[in-house]
Amino acid sequence: MTTMKIIPACRLLIAGLCVAAAVGCGKTPPAYFRPNMVEATKQRLTADQEKQVATILLAMFGTPDDPVCLPETGLDEAKLRLAAGPVRSDIVGRKNGLYREHCAHCHGVTGDALGPTAAFLNPYPRDYRPGVFKFKSTERADKPTHADLVRLLHNGVPGTSMPSFALLPAVQVEALVEYVKYLSMRGETELALMRAFFELDDDAQGKLPETREFLVDETLSPVAEKWRAAADAQIQVPPMPADIDMVASIAKGRELFYGDKANCVKCHGVTGLGDGQANDYDDWNKAIVEIGKELASGTTKAREASTAGMSPEELSEHRAQLAWLDKFGKVLDGDALEPRTIPPRNLRHGIYRGGRRPIDLYYRIHAGINGAPMPAAKGTVPPEDIWHIVNYIRSLPYGLDGELGADKPMLARDRF
Amino acid sequence: MSRMHRLRSFAAVGCLLVSGCRPERVATPGADVEAARTLHATFVSASSATGDTAAASTGTGWGTLKGRFVFAGSPAAAKPLVADKDTEVCSKGGMKLLDRSLLVDPSTKGLANVVVFARKVTRVKDGPSSTPVVFDQKQCEFLAPVFAARVGQPIDVKNSDPIGHNTNIAGSDFNQLIPAGGGTTYVPKAETGMPTMVTCNVHPWMKAYMVFRKDGYVAVSAADGSFTIPDLPAGELLEFQVWHERSTGPNGALGLDKPDLKWTPKGRFQLTIQPDELKDVGTLEVPASAIGT
Repeated sequence: MTTMKIIPACRLLIAGLCVAAAVGCGKTPPAYFRPNMVEATKQRLTADQEKQVATILLAMFGTPDDPVCLPETGLDEAKLRLAAGPVRSDIVGRKNGLYREHCAHCHGVTGDALGPTAAFLNPYPRDYRPGVFKFKSTERADKPTHADLVRLLHNGVPGTSMPSFALLPAVQVEALVEYVKYLSMRGETELALMRAFFELDDDAQGKLPETREFLVDETLSPVAEKWRAAADAQIQVPPMPADIDMVASIAKGRELFYGDKANCVKCHGVTGLGDGQANDYDDWNKAIVEIGKELASGTTKAREASTAGMSPEELSEHRAQLAWLDKFGKVLDGDALEPRTIPPRNLRHGIYRGGRRPIDLYYRIHAGINGAPMPAAKGTVPPEDIWHIVNYIRSLPYGLDGELGADKPMLARDRF
Repeated sequence: MSRMHRLRSFAAVGCLLVSGCRPERVATPGADVEAARTLHATFVSASSATGDTAAASTGTGWGTLKGRFVFAGSPAAAKPLVADKDTEVCSKGGMKLLDRSLLVDPSTKGLANVVVFARKVTRVKDGPSSTPVVFDQKQCEFLAPVFAARVGQPIDVKNSDPIGHNTNIAGSDFNQLIPAGGGTTYVPKAETGMPTMVTCNVHPWMKAYMVFRKDGYVAVSAADGSFTIPDLPAGELLEFQVWHERSTGPNGALGLDKPDLKWTPKGRFQLTIQPDELKDVGTLEVPASAIGT
């Protein structure tokens, strides 16, 4: 009997040890910023070049546990320090490591939207590195204002996995917004550096000049300047006339929705259910789709090429090409998520990702949505017409216009 | 026994959870910490040394560059595009839209839509013209598959179709609705580097490329493969960048085997033009291997 009891106990112990061995009992390695491997591989950077970029970024931005920022960024290092590092309390009991507590599991330590939960979310979390943000009060290609990001953290992004952080004290929200800007500037600078290798003259021998002039004045400052300029780039919205006849305005908006000028119907569908043109990608996913296509065709070509009759140089070039294709495949597996199409918004739900205030909808229609297929109406649709469209769209979730087929929504399985 | 099994599977699941099931990620080289420390000191040093800003101009007068690209292969028949929206306009009268990424003139073998632009120049003859250039779309196709313009020069983006389009210039601040029969004006504010893709999101098969240069020294090869860049600064070493949509080179750079022009795999060649000279680089043969699928 005793042996019978001992054996399971031993097994439990062994199983426990197994787990412990796998987890390890050393210190957790410090968090690190992962290089943008998709871009590095796309630009065919050598290991030395990747190292040079990592070194420059370390000098400019520090590490996830020890961030630094140059005065050119306009960022507040004190705020960054509150958001950075592991989750902990400092000596006065103040919470530190806010980014890793609230954001990193989806947006990733690097802000590359490759956190452990990212793959399970639809839509995927935002990748800050290209410096493109959707929901803001500025023109299409401009950065969001500070207030835009604060509002986004307050409200979350309805219809996505991004929750509201309205319960956080203002000082913590400020720290997080600053840290998102920091990660975005870092990511955009990294992209610029990786792309700069191609622009080098041949006599530079594949090495970026390590001068303050090139790295700070020509590379970092233009990125930071766009963030600074956002404050003055808010869209000027003429107020909706106070005495507007709402019924007439909605009717006019409906006309525009279906008309050739605003053309909303093409993507948002005749029913407004978002069932029009629905097989397009946003810019983040499209980049991966395009690379995938290029890789597939390149691989076919390289595999089919006969090596018979190749000169030694051609053969080594051919092998290098095969090795690069192979590496790129592995990089996509580990550093990119399966691309997904972007469905146009279903306007019958009354759920608006960038906010539900009429002015939010005005911004979306006026400037389009950066990074998404949604085009800007400014220039071709006058402001009063944009207000009519806003009014029509706001009526859609409550509309009883059976002639649109809203009472007979299309089944999801028929739509895709 | 069943308990042992349970234990075993528990341990196995535990190990799996710990090790994770993400594919192993490609290793990356770490930063050089010492070098980063030195660099950081350079960044925070007060002196923003600005040495020689622009290279001094070395010549006077202006010259012209011309040449012609020919394709040394037999191109496959162009594939039809999947144009399945607004068919009453887009495939009017049974017309099929074809892929235009490799246009070779059957009689002259000329390769169209190759972009050539000067990388750096010290002098520019004229400022950008204020006369708009037209970028039109008709029957669900951008009329120009590759379109070059100068930074600061207005582009009249038009739509000659009876249906609405949008024109989305990747990496720019422009993605706008272009109403049926209407248009809008866009003034490019920055250079593109290599050409950037232009799409219509309503009709996803519509595709073109645009290239914007500050100095305006850019040409797109015509149907017979010929190109001309006039008014280039004479007397200085000029470097040109060459691009083709389907090129296998990095970022679309077209690398040719032309040692006399110091043609590099990055698709660049160098030459100097004398004042009032019409420099003809002759026929530039593009081998089939330089063009991808």
